[in-house]
Amino acid sequence: MLRQPITVILLSCAAACMPGGTARAATAPTGPSEDGQWTMPAKNYSATRYSGLTQINAQNAHSLHPLWTFSTGVLAGHEGQPLAVGETLYVVTPWPNVLYAFDLRKEGYPLRWKYRPDVSSNALGVACCDAVNRGAFYLDGRIVYNLLDGHTVAVDARSGKELWKTTIADMGNGETVTMAPVVVRDRVIVGASGGEFGIYGWLKALDLKTGQIVWTGHNMGPDADMLARPESFKPLYDGGVDVGARSWAGESWKTGGAPVWGWISYDPELDLIYYGTGNAAPYDPEARPGDNKWSASVLARRPGTGELVWAYQFTPHDNWDYDATGAMVLVDLGIAGKSVKALVHFDKNGFAYTLDRATGKLLVAAPFAPVTWAKSVDLASGRPVIEPAKQTGVSKGKVTGVCPSLEGAVSPASPPAYSPRTHLFYTSTNNLCMDYGAAHASHLRGTPYIGVDFAYHPGPGGNLGAFIAWDAASGRKAWEDKESYPSWSGALVTAGDVVFYGTLDGWFKAVDAHSGQVLSKFKVGSGVVGNPIAYRGPDGKEYVAIYAGIGGDWALLAGDTRSDDPTDVREPAEFMKDIARHTSQGGIVWIFGL
Amino acid sequence: MSEPPVMRPSHVLAALGCLSLAACARSAPPAPGASAAPPAVAYEAHVAAGGIAPTGGELKNPHAGDAAVAKAGEQLFSAMNCDGCHNLGATGWVGPSLADGRWRYGGADAAVFSSIYYGRPKGMPAFGGVLGTDGVWALVTYIRSLPLPSEVPTESWEQP
Repeated sequence: MLRQPITVILLSCAAACMPGGTARAATAPTGPSEDGQWTMPAKNYSATRYSGLTQINAQNAHSLHPLWTFSTGVLAGHEGQPLAVGETLYVVTPWPNVLYAFDLRKEGYPLRWKYRPDVSSNALGVACCDAVNRGAFYLDGRIVYNLLDGHTVAVDARSGKELWKTTIADMGNGETVTMAPVVVRDRVIVGASGGEFGIYGWLKALDLKTGQIVWTGHNMGPDADMLARPESFKPLYDGGVDVGARSWAGESWKTGGAPVWGWISYDPELDLIYYGTGNAAPYDPEARPGDNKWSASVLARRPGTGELVWAYQFTPHDNWDYDATGAMVLVDLGIAGKSVKALVHFDKNGFAYTLDRATGKLLVAAPFAPVTWAKSVDLASGRPVIEPAKQTGVSKGKVTGVCPSLEGAVSPASPPAYSPRTHLFYTSTNNLCMDYGAAHASHLRGTPYIGVDFAYHPGPGGNLGAFIAWDAASGRKAWEDKESYPSWSGALVTAGDVVFYGTLDGWFKAVDAHSGQVLSKFKVGSGVVGNPIAYRGPDGKEYVAIYAGIGGDWALLAGDTRSDDPTDVREPAEFMKDIARHTSQGGIVWIFGL
Repeated sequence: MSEPPVMRPSHVLAALGCLSLAACARSAPPAPGASAAPPAVAYEAHVAAGGIAPTGGELKNPHAGDAAVAKAGEQLFSAMNCDGCHNLGATGWVGPSLADGRWRYGGADAAVFSSIYYGRPKGMPAFGGVLGTDGVWALVTYIRSLPLPSEVPTESWEQP
């Protein structure tokens, strides 16, 4: 979950993409000028997924049509997005994590090369939720990405030769790697999945040139493990010495999860990286009394040293598997008449949060989907106002009517987009509620550490998902396109005021950024769980690329969308009986144009 | 999905005659014999070159059909976190369904034993070290007790 440097184009990227080059450029959503490339997972360090390209716009998007397709040969869920660097398109597949480099100058986009790493098949049983990969990062002639079995690799973007390969995670301990790395200066920042295996969650930095691990900061535990020093770690709401250990009963922090399986953003002016942590483990909250900091949280660290600067917990004492690994989008917003350096996050727990990204101060928290576990979020204390009847635990038995479901009001795998033209965010949402029965779980190294029996139900209205536009300054929905199925695609918005996303039943849609009106749609062969990108090809034309390939949680929940294994035949999901009527597995790269 | 009662692995193993998890883990490696691990794997539709099957030990489940052992195996299925991958009721999650009558590596007692005891590629851990032969046989007995579908499933969305 990238390309070939062409000197002229990269020169313009050097100013926009290199931290320390022009700091102003990287905080602005677009950069000083649109270079037409897509070199990072989320387009830019601010994670806006906004392209300044305008050829495709609301007036002509009705004539979008597919121009090229490529089967990746892999059937697992195709999350993440391609990279477009210079004249090359880079694609990383789910396990076995093949890296393809397509030559965009030639008819049919033939491959320049393909890189096939040696990735253990045992990873397939340690990854909780399908063998996904969320994408690669390009910088300085290198493509950097993660392998499911616990490695980070750097590949020469021109030749496809492996430059280095570093073991970062231990599968024997339940760690796999699905997240998209971010490279800041000479640091490759990575994290591990494993919230369902009771890992001791962490973030690591590797040296871009050598691959050597430079620092490791845990997401919980004693201050020393967290790289938190009292003089520099200033969480606004809850702090104190060793809060990352004291907020867990006994030594439950050692197996408390808090994985890093999503996205990382970066503010060059503040020199802070931002990332979310996943659920606390196990799923029975009574096994770990306390707030369980910093699971289900956003953490701000110095990329150079890993030093922790601030943290904010969205879901204290996570009762519902509410990972906070979704994107942290960095934008400047006008709130109450003042310009604020904001961080905006759509959480699995159903609230959209706007924070001051310099301090972690909570500014806005409003539900963007049906929420029953909390009544509101108190801005003064930063804490949710919990609904007692929705608290879970073994002693509580089956707790019914919890919204959102543990799939989240939006999946962290489905990142939002932000347009500085409309000042709106665009995101997929899920409309699912659940019954949650916590169960005892025993920790046995290398096996799942979960403990829950759950069932999903459609939320109010009956549509299982939607795609919405959101005003993060006021905490209000601007428009909503209802979807029949949970919406699991990332978003893309362009300066042509067109928003792109895909649906679980396999439609790729272009909609008007102001109204949500559908401008065009096309059935792409498999459900979409990936993220669209826009880029300018060597011919000067604008293109939009997207993966098809249903999977991720849907490989588990909707097992009847799978046809690859005659020795594994499943019933349809109770809450979504007919998805397999509309889609089946299959990894395909699509490119659309006018 | 109904939730099976949960027991710690040590309780289940004690019920099976092991005093503790550690004691089971320390038990001597299985010798060839009625309930030991086989020197070779054989499963249905296994093709033998030249039509000549290799010789190998024969494994027999000492608890085959024993409902009490199947019940203990069901508890182990949760206690050892099997359900974390195969789902409650073994209906399939990130790991394959064990309740559909279909088998990657064979569904006979000996084949299921081998899969659990030694593990399999694509992520099935080896549980023989922590469970010993008795624990694995309990799981085999449980899995073999699951009701199987009577016909090949056809999913239809057409009105009859």
